[in-house]
Amino acid sequence: MIKLKEREVVVVGGGLTAGLVSRRLVPAGRDVLVLERGPERAGGPEDELPTQRDDLRWGTYRGLTQRENVETITLRHKPSEQALPMRRLTSFLPGFGVGGAISHWNGQTWRFQTTDYMLRSHLESRYGKASVAALTVQDWGLKYEELEPYYTLFENLFGISGEAGNVKGVKRPAGNPYEPYRSEAYPLPPLEATELGLMFRDAAAKLGYHPFAMPAANASRPYRNPDGMQLGACQYCGHCERFLCEANAKSSAMNLLFPLVRGKPNFELRANTEVLRLQYDKAGQRVTGVIYADARSGEEFEQPASVVVLGAYVFTNTRLLLLSGIGRPYEPATGQGAVGRNYCYQTTSAVQVFFEDKFLNPFMGSGALGTTIDDFNNDHFDHSGLGFHGGAYITANITNGRPIDTRPLPPGTPRWGTKWKEANAKWYLRGAAIGCHGSSYSHRDNYLDLDPDYRDAWGRPLVRMTFDFPENDLKMSEYVTARAHDIAKAMGATNTNPVPRRGLYDARPYQSTHNTGGTIMGADPATSVVSPHLQCWNASNLFISGASVFPQNSGYNPTGPVGALGLRLGEDLLNFLQRPRMLG
Amino acid sequence: MSDDRKELNPSARRSFLKSTGAALALGAATAKPTLGVAQTPPAVTPGVAAASAAMAPGYQSLGLEESATTEALVDHMWPADQLSVSGTELGIATYIDRQLAGAFGRGDRLYAQGPFRKGKAQHGYQLPLTPEAWYKTGIAALNTHCTRVHGKAFDRLAGAERETALQAVSAGSANTPAFDLAAWFNGLLYPLFTQGAFADPIYGGNRGKAAWKMIGYPGLPAVYNRDVVAFRGKRHPKSDAPKSIQDLS
Repeated sequence: MIKLKEREVVVVGGGLTAGLVSRRLVPAGRDVLVLERGPERAGGPEDELPTQRDDLRWGTYRGLTQRENVETITLRHKPSEQALPMRRLTSFLPGFGVGGAISHWNGQTWRFQTTDYMLRSHLESRYGKASVAALTVQDWGLKYEELEPYYTLFENLFGISGEAGNVKGVKRPAGNPYEPYRSEAYPLPPLEATELGLMFRDAAAKLGYHPFAMPAANASRPYRNPDGMQLGACQYCGHCERFLCEANAKSSAMNLLFPLVRGKPNFELRANTEVLRLQYDKAGQRVTGVIYADARSGEEFEQPASVVVLGAYVFTNTRLLLLSGIGRPYEPATGQGAVGRNYCYQTTSAVQVFFEDKFLNPFMGSGALGTTIDDFNNDHFDHSGLGFHGGAYITANITNGRPIDTRPLPPGTPRWGTKWKEANAKWYLRGAAIGCHGSSYSHRDNYLDLDPDYRDAWGRPLVRMTFDFPENDLKMSEYVTARAHDIAKAMGATNTNPVPRRGLYDARPYQSTHNTGGTIMGADPATSVVSPHLQCWNASNLFISGASVFPQNSGYNPTGPVGALGLRLGEDLLNFLQRPRMLG
Repeated sequence: MSDDRKELNPSARRSFLKSTGAALALGAATAKPTLGVAQTPPAVTPGVAAASAAMAPGYQSLGLEESATTEALVDHMWPADQLSVSGTELGIATYIDRQLAGAFGRGDRLYAQGPFRKGKAQHGYQLPLTPEAWYKTGIAALNTHCTRVHGKAFDRLAGAERETALQAVSAGSANTPAFDLAAWFNGLLYPLFTQGAFADPIYGGNRGKAAWKMIGYPGLPAVYNRDVVAFRGKRHPKSDAPKSIQDLS
């Protein structure tokens, strides 16, 4: 194995975290090397018309996402079962290639609620300890106030289009009245509302709720961010999720972050490098570097580093710790151990709506083009006597009308034949869904570890996911979906069909790429992997960021807090490099 | 299209099969599960050349009995009616054949390592077959079911019997201990069928963009920065004149 020259900071994973950290460290003169398992992703068919619009290639066949033939994840629903591999990764879509998963995201950009960071304390104090006993939710070990400046910076860098609801404590009626205090309004006005959104807005307001435009990383108009990087205006083409944006209107690491540092002598990005494991000096409680393979030749390299940052997707961050013997693996039988603990997902559901006399034109869409209410999310409503915690935002989004997958049909429609064709012809332009984007709260039996039987193409054990929706979340979904159904009926829909989330967790249909946990943060080393400064308790020069550090998942999309944490990590790394120590 | 023609083509093919003795050999070959690389021509890649190849008559992967069954399936599921031509004329059978002959059929992207265990439906596909071999095994199982219950292979059944057979297959009542026909129908045939109808015509289906015209999907270039307001709540004129990748290439 060839031993390479030591680098100052080595980041595993060429996505959002790598981009945000590099943006801070490289101009400050620090040496950064980013290792990305996939290829470069620019100037190719994924990024140009007309091939960018190929629904089969990028949508159905998931041309931009993790190669499950090389490495996948095994699934079982409870600890007593035997896991089987997800032979196709279809229910969520980890990234593959420079830019990471944020290259093919929808752009829905939220701040987590103030109570999310202190969830256990908050719920116990409001509802009593017993009401939270079935869940393993934890506090983050930091407060919203510490993240607020980074949320603001992230929104300004990513040109978020939205309507503020609470600027410096002053409520604004067009925005989200539940949003946490923000120091600045969004940098861009919201996207244009759709026909579906306007109907939803009126019906929700009539029922006493508080509709607003979903905050979007799809630029409502051209924009120049504080770094001088430019965005074009969204074309409402309906090709966000699973696609790159050829109009340069969807914010990502690829178009806003890496161009800032590419070409600088103290920055290097190596694509096609699969990090196999970290080198861990257990006695010294530090890492000394990484071992990676060139994905084109298979040749292995030792890359020494002063500091290692794990900025890969949830499963890779967790697996690299387990493969490298860093930290104590979580055991559900005892509740001991932290690595793999509190794996969570997103509890999504929907109400199909059909309007005989309306043109909804689903093909004119954008990833975060939605009209939304937050009245039934988090702890915005009193949970006394409901038997669950958490909630969901309820939203009328038009993300796409790509017809291979997006052809809503009323229940009872035959699945083939002339009647089915007639239903497609009748409802394609007139059907949609009201979505519920629900929290996923941690449970003792839901966790990640290494699979005893299945291996990846590099010969390493796969990650084994033990997960099913906890009863808490299924009750939440039932309740919130019923509220969404109320709105759907108030919209005057010809036909409605509520579809709350039910168990078992099904690895086949797409639900969301909002997997969280496994390397969670916290103030207590016994129940967390990283400190509130994202520093590994078992290796002081190892930092981990991304949704893998969330102790549970909120009812919001994870990218906002992943962005804020990544920006804050940049500051912490500078601080650490000046004087290495456990940051406090 | 008359029922006569539907019956005639498969029957003619079947006679040919019998006369050459190919039916037996083909059945034996397709019923045997293998993980090996399928013996197929090279994959079709997107582009103008592929588009013309996709329109060419003939099949790359499917044998005579398999193509007869596939055509009968897509013509039953996508019948010729006042809305459009039949599924075969729309190119769905061609689409399926090209997918099976290409990277998808050979198991590109499929995690194919053992051990192979029977899972729950929620685990998704767990067989040691390439999608091409799975497809062909399913076609054989479908015809075995139809012959047992209705006395004839699927392509020789009348419309009402075809419907009865597909209802049984999709609901799981035609499953055998050896083969899960419902998983095959719902997890392989049905997705290929809808892709063949609604994917861009460069892949061989959706000929003439007829399925897009039927539902009002305008296709490309999909640049609606102004239209999102101008046509809010109104029918968009491009819904009647869709454009495909080929039109913009």
